[in-house]
Amino acid sequence: MSTPKEAPAKRRISLDEWAVVAALLLALIVRVGILKQVPW
Amino acid sequence: MADAVALPQTKSANPALQILKLLPGILLLAGIGYAGKVIEQSVARYAKAHHLVLPNIEYVLWAILIGLLIANTVGVPEVFRAGVSTYEFWLKVGIVLLGSRFILGDVLKLGGVSLGLVALELAVALSFMTFLGRVFKLKPKLTSLLAIGSAVCGVSAIIAAEGAIDADEEDTSFAIAAILALGALSLFTFPLIGHALHMSDRAYGLWAGLAVDNTAEATAAGALYSDAAGKLAVLAKTTRNAMIGFVVLGYAWYWARRGQAQAVGNKAAFLWQKFPKFILGFLLISILATYHFFDKPQLTALGNLSRWAFLLTFAGVGLRTNFSEMRKQGFGPFAVGAIGEIVIAVVTLGMVLAADRLLRI
Repeated sequence: MSTPKEAPAKRRISLDEWAVVAALLLALIVRVGILKQVPW
Repeated sequence: MADAVALPQTKSANPALQILKLLPGILLLAGIGYAGKVIEQSVARYAKAHHLVLPNIEYVLWAILIGLLIANTVGVPEVFRAGVSTYEFWLKVGIVLLGSRFILGDVLKLGGVSLGLVALELAVALSFMTFLGRVFKLKPKLTSLLAIGSAVCGVSAIIAAEGAIDADEEDTSFAIAAILALGALSLFTFPLIGHALHMSDRAYGLWAGLAVDNTAEATAAGALYSDAAGKLAVLAKTTRNAMIGFVVLGYAWYWARRGQAQAVGNKAAFLWQKFPKFILGFLLISILATYHFFDKPQLTALGNLSRWAFLLTFAGVGLRTNFSEMRKQGFGPFAVGAIGEIVIAVVTLGMVLAADRLLRI
């Protein structure tokens, strides 16, 4: 009889990785021209 | 930085609801940051209209002060807390986007100088904090946490080391409180010292990046001096952050040999797990900027987005600094941290001034 296998633990995305994804997404949005000007 | 820290988790599994719960706090960060900007501009306009010479207090300080005022008077209501704790996320978004304002050659040149100075700073900080911990008879693991926190990367390094060296939760909270209190003090003392010594933007930025422990406070301390100093502070601090895995691995090995922590199996995997990934994002954006992937207006837009992200961070630095909570943590760790920080600040100041003269950094 086969024993039920434990499902591998889901790897949580770290804060660093979220930040990199968000920043690269913003850079892409600026690059393709969706966001043209950001005032300061 | 802290691999264990992810975006604030709420009990609900629904991602839309989770994001909704972050919104009030994020709006509070944005509101405080923007208020800081408005106050800076209003003071400057008033001074100009009335021909007054008023000290130029940057939006960075206003945002931190407003946050401090709220946190230490009415407190941060529960509804805002999850969103406020995203300030570290905005810090890292800001750092990655800041890569657009660096040409790769500058990163390599200044990063190389920073790396040499960071190696010296690590040796001084780790050995001196260990010595101080013994003098003040602190628990050995608390001493290790304080040494890691002051040598590398503040709170994130302490959190990363907690699991690796099997430290007590109580020791961890002592060390974090000491590092946060000292970081808050550095925001007010570093710019004053820099101005008193007439330091150049580069020398001051490097010093802030080398001597201020937490990345958010190091970024703020740099930006309080000037925009250029802020850039340099981030670069030097990022170089320091890159060392986190090696330092934590060294301490994990030390405590495992004494049978007081689990041995590290795959060292390469351990180093990769502890490596702050936002540094790779920063380098990638810097490479793209160097090879003209973005045109000039786009680079300006990215630089401004980075500034907005930092604005939220500075508001968060003020909001999460609660002095009454820090007072509860005891005098010993704070005293060790304070003496250690003063010595590290003086030594790194000497190193930076020498490098400034010798290498014309």
